[in-house]
Amino acid sequence: MMIPLLKAELFKLFRESKTWYAITAVLLIEGIILTAAYYQGATILELLLDNLRQSFYFEGNLLNGNLLLYIILNSLWFNLPLILMIVSSALITEEYKNGTLKTVMLQAVSKGQLITAKYIASFIFTALILVLLMLTTFILAYSIFGNGDLVVYLGTLNFFPADEAFKRICFAFASGLLSMLFFTTVSLTLGILLKEPAKTWIASAFFLILCSLLLKADFGLPTVERFFFPKLTNAWQHFFDYELNMNSILIDNLLLAGYTAFFALLGIFLFTKKDIG
Amino acid sequence: MIKYLSLIAALCCVLNTSAQEIDADLIAIKERMDAVNGFTADLKLDLEAPFINMPTKHASMKYQKGKDIKFSSNDFVVLPKRGLDFALSELFEHPFITVNRGEEILHGISVKVLHVIPIGDESDMALATLYLDTQNQRIAASEITTKKQGTYKLDMQYAANQDSLPNYVEVSFAIEKLKIPLNFMGSDTKIDRKAMRNIDTKTGKIKLKITNYKID
Repeated sequence: MMIPLLKAELFKLFRESKTWYAITAVLLIEGIILTAAYYQGATILELLLDNLRQSFYFEGNLLNGNLLLYIILNSLWFNLPLILMIVSSALITEEYKNGTLKTVMLQAVSKGQLITAKYIASFIFTALILVLLMLTTFILAYSIFGNGDLVVYLGTLNFFPADEAFKRICFAFASGLLSMLFFTTVSLTLGILLKEPAKTWIASAFFLILCSLLLKADFGLPTVERFFFPKLTNAWQHFFDYELNMNSILIDNLLLAGYTAFFALLGIFLFTKKDIG
Repeated sequence: MIKYLSLIAALCCVLNTSAQEIDADLIAIKERMDAVNGFTADLKLDLEAPFINMPTKHASMKYQKGKDIKFSSNDFVVLPKRGLDFALSELFEHPFITVNRGEEILHGISVKVLHVIPIGDESDMALATLYLDTQNQRIAASEITTKKQGTYKLDMQYAANQDSLPNYVEVSFAIEKLKIPLNFMGSDTKIDRKAMRNIDTKTGKIKLKITNYKID
């Protein structure tokens, strides 16, 4: 029963004009960020290498596809979830708004199965957008700006050879996917709670802003903060630490997956306990 | 009276300076280096700086007499502006005087310590201290204080006694604190102001292993 339900949810999702608007918006944002990243990259390199330039010659080009991909990764994780959250939450809020949920429930479908199918559809949509974004940014960044070593600043200036940089960027995208899944899952749960699209969008945007503020906040409790979900949404950044601590990254990502599962289960529980209408 | 005494003292200094000659051992080393018309070599670079992490890099260098050294690499490499002037052409570019500071033991060998002081304002160098391995006619180490680019210490090692070109060069340099644009930092990167102040100026090192010399 789950497969036909899932197919129906995906069909509905991709029939919605707002889904295509969202995909277009994501691609436009990508183009804008890529253009901005080029100019930002040139300025960043100028500033970063300024005091080294007095004493050294540089051979090679650092303003390359890898640097642009890293800047895109930094810029994307705030803009992208907002769009994904709006589309994902619509999976349930539009049903409430149009009253179609009652019609669906007239079929031999359990509430649990229906909402689980919606969560899985949201997962698939998020993953597809991320893959599309990853492929297009890789193609654009490497074809226009070429390959080369990557320099990032995370407390220290870290230089990575081109092949190492490529690997780390791929891992960062995979870890970023987990963050996106977390946000879209939360938005769907918020949709179940609030029912109305506009209210859900505002709540989702608030949640996203709150997470980004808490990410930068320092409460002086590093051991507690370590497991706080806003901090975990930035786990992808640790792929650019010079010495990779895979255990720590794995724990962060598993914890984030755990939080995602928690919000999904909470949503499923709330939906099954609530009356439709 | 003081005016006259000062004038006499200044005149004495000028006369003494003009009478100074360039150290014979340094000239001998320069002549030995001038016999090298050009060379190519492979470089293995290791950068050690307190706030820079860079893996080992590889490059190749090409020197032609009378021309600047050229480097090429498939990677992004950082190369010191000073320290690879094996032909001493930068040193001999502008007039200077030398002052013999005696002998010292460096890496187990006796070296002659020489101060090189440029005359005039053209040179970017303020003072150089050269440690000459007079027995093997080559530079063992040097410390160059420039007017704009700080102080560099160079330590050279050679594969064999008869070699005129080093197979290992270690360049130590002072490096200023990094100016970090905030928007380039990771979202959770913290600024440790105390640590940043402490790393105001630090010493960095570039270790160059030079192999596959092809000398003309």
